[in-house]
Amino acid sequence: MSGLLAGVGLALLVVAWILHPLVTGRSAPMHRDDDELTDVQHRKRIALLALRDVEYDHHAGKLDEADYLAMKRKISAEALSALDEEERALSPGSPESLDVEAEIRALRATLREGAVCQECGNPNAAGSRFCGACGAALARARASG
Amino acid sequence: MLPELGEFALWISLPISIWGVVLAFLGGRWGRGDLVLSAERSVHAVLFLLAVASAGIIAAFLGDRFEYWYVSNYSSRNLETYFKVSGLWAGQRGSLVFWALNVAFFSSIAVWTNRARNRELMLWVSGTLLAVLAFFIVITLFITPPFERLPFTPQDGRGLNPQLQNYWMTIHPPTLYLGFTAFTVPFAFAIGALLSGRLDARWIQITRKWVLTSWFFLTLGIVFGMRWAYEELGWGGYWFWDPVENASLLPWIVATAFLHSVMIQESRGMLKVWNMVLVCLTFIMTIFATFLTRSGLIESVHSFALSLEIAYAFLGFMAVISIICLVLIVWRLPELRSERQFESFLSRESAFLLNNLVLLGAGFAVLWGTMFPLLTEGLTGSKVAVGPPFFNQVNIPIGLILLALMGIGPVIAWRRASARNLKKNFMIPIGVGLLTAGILAALGMRHVYALLTFAIGAFVLWVIVTEFWKGTRARARIEGEGAPTAFFHLIRRNRRRWGGYIVHVGVVVMFMGFAGAAFDREVRQSLEPGESVSIQSAFGHEYTLTYEGISTQRGQNMWQWIALMSVERDGRFIGPMTTERRFYEAPPQPMTEVGIRSTFYEDLYVILATLDDRVGIGNEPDFQRATFQVMVNPLVPWIWYGGLVIAIGTLIGLWPGGPVQSQRPVAGVTKPAARRPGNEPEPQPAGVG
Repeated sequence: MSGLLAGVGLALLVVAWILHPLVTGRSAPMHRDDDELTDVQHRKRIALLALRDVEYDHHAGKLDEADYLAMKRKISAEALSALDEEERALSPGSPESLDVEAEIRALRATLREGAVCQECGNPNAAGSRFCGACGAALARARASG
Repeated sequence: MLPELGEFALWISLPISIWGVVLAFLGGRWGRGDLVLSAERSVHAVLFLLAVASAGIIAAFLGDRFEYWYVSNYSSRNLETYFKVSGLWAGQRGSLVFWALNVAFFSSIAVWTNRARNRELMLWVSGTLLAVLAFFIVITLFITPPFERLPFTPQDGRGLNPQLQNYWMTIHPPTLYLGFTAFTVPFAFAIGALLSGRLDARWIQITRKWVLTSWFFLTLGIVFGMRWAYEELGWGGYWFWDPVENASLLPWIVATAFLHSVMIQESRGMLKVWNMVLVCLTFIMTIFATFLTRSGLIESVHSFALSLEIAYAFLGFMAVISIICLVLIVWRLPELRSERQFESFLSRESAFLLNNLVLLGAGFAVLWGTMFPLLTEGLTGSKVAVGPPFFNQVNIPIGLILLALMGIGPVIAWRRASARNLKKNFMIPIGVGLLTAGILAALGMRHVYALLTFAIGAFVLWVIVTEFWKGTRARARIEGEGAPTAFFHLIRRNRRRWGGYIVHVGVVVMFMGFAGAAFDREVRQSLEPGESVSIQSAFGHEYTLTYEGISTQRGQNMWQWIALMSVERDGRFIGPMTTERRFYEAPPQPMTEVGIRSTFYEDLYVILATLDDRVGIGNEPDFQRATFQVMVNPLVPWIWYGGLVIAIGTLIGLWPGGPVQSQRPVAGVTKPAARRPGNEPEPQPAGVG
């Protein structure tokens, strides 16, 4: 008998908890977060990762100079096209878009100049001596690559 | 009271899970957050209810409630307490509740950790998780009810199978179950991605750690099972290609393929369809494993009694999942196109793809060999046994190819490698491999597969050590750190890459342990107390075992005849050793407890094969003739060391947190150019970080 009572009590508690959102209208979030990557951002990320891999493979002696340069050109073009798309996707004039435009300009310069950090892969503005993300010395890293 | 409450909870969990499935899908379709929240709460509620049901089963075991069919068949009054607790997974009926509990546990974690994130996916993920749960609950309620009562209450139970009365019983099955069930979460995310159309890299990133978690437990579970077989089954081996062993290997193989191919999708945006197929296939294989074990269709040391209802239920479930996966993948095919093409056959991408094909080839061979007896029986009416020779013949060459790929992959460049560079990079590692083979051949090793294993193993180890060395050197140079600090930071900054390499080292060590089986030595001899038997190991050690006599003991649930041997190695006494025969009372069954004496590189393994003189059972020193089987198994300990290294490597890959960014301020540093999304893992350099 006590088992039955405990069971019924348990069932009522569980059912009440599950039905609670329907009664009170409490809702679970339904949409994506702001911080999730968009498709374009994802493509940009893939291109930057690839750039990093190529840098390291060259650095580790797994890629010839000629192959390295050709691939770097190709992947940089991919990254730039993703950046262009990202730029177009943002409405002009908003503070966010200004921020991103500045970022894109910097990235473009970086990709053209080749100041991608050997250590962490962060693209740095042309002329940087140290990586803005990890602090590694860019000039030496580039020289060694 | 707890068993009654448990039964009640199990019954309520079914409508709750079905309610959750319906609400999750309706909520997703109509965009109603309240329905979705209710569905997500159902996941946690089902976990709670299944926990109460499991506690009820354990309480029934601890309370010797033999009116329950399950308790009376798997326990007895004199069973040790911890085996009563493990009664939850000792038989079909309890273990399916335990399985569902594990699925609910992981589902609840997945839903809780994503309560405010990845919402587009989660709408469908909760529904999928609850649907899987509902299936298992239906089985436990209607086909294998754990709380079914007998028409009478027996005085005592039938007892637990003596093979299960071993401490591994409390460790191996739960670990393996955790591995099997954790894979439900990546599967649910894959279905969520297909249903929601969010087929970018998001679901892959979320499930990465889940797949690794599942793989970690599967690997540990399999290794624990090998250790258990080695200690308990008493034939000197650890793997017999038993159908259920194979069944646990199949999801492991496909999950391993997925772990590798997923990296290509993450870094190159390729193989999206392939990865979907692999996730679905791994999940189906986890269900297949439990189908094989529980249907009893194939004879095995593990299998439960033959149950056609279970067989049909699982076959139906697998068919439904396969059809759903197939339809969804075909539906989303246009969106699953690769973003890039393979640029060259000589590239790391190709090596990964080859690894996948070879792994699936191994999987198919194992599946074929496992199912062959069943297929022939269906077609011809007679069962044809497929034994270890078939599996070894097929899988040893495949295993060696996989081993070689572990060394080839890291040396080949991504995208496109040139022949000249390959030659430059492979010369030294191949030289190391050949040198190893040469030295071993000169020392007298003639076994071809063993020679190949050691040669390829040395090649792989050289490549991996070189990668670590290059990375550490580059980091030390760039950061100005000492070698140990640079090495530590290197691993910390890209845990998955370096953790993966550590796993590969463990696999090499384990393979070398397997190769040791080529040099097992064995002698069988009948001895009187005072007599000795000698055996020489492959490493040249001479072991002499002197039989000192047998003592008889009464255990809680058994009689034990314990033979004492004193052991000398190369003429020096190294200690005593015991090996036992046991006779269990409930159920009445004899068992052997082997004696194992391990060194770093070999095991001395002794089995008390038969008690030749029955009179000796009464502690009579004059009548104690017994037959012993003595083996020396070289390199078996390396299998366990390898398992440990694999576990460490996997844990490094699993460790929470992305790569660490250096916080130290540096003069002349420019502002970070790239905006970093908050909870997005930072793109990881494939190189030195």
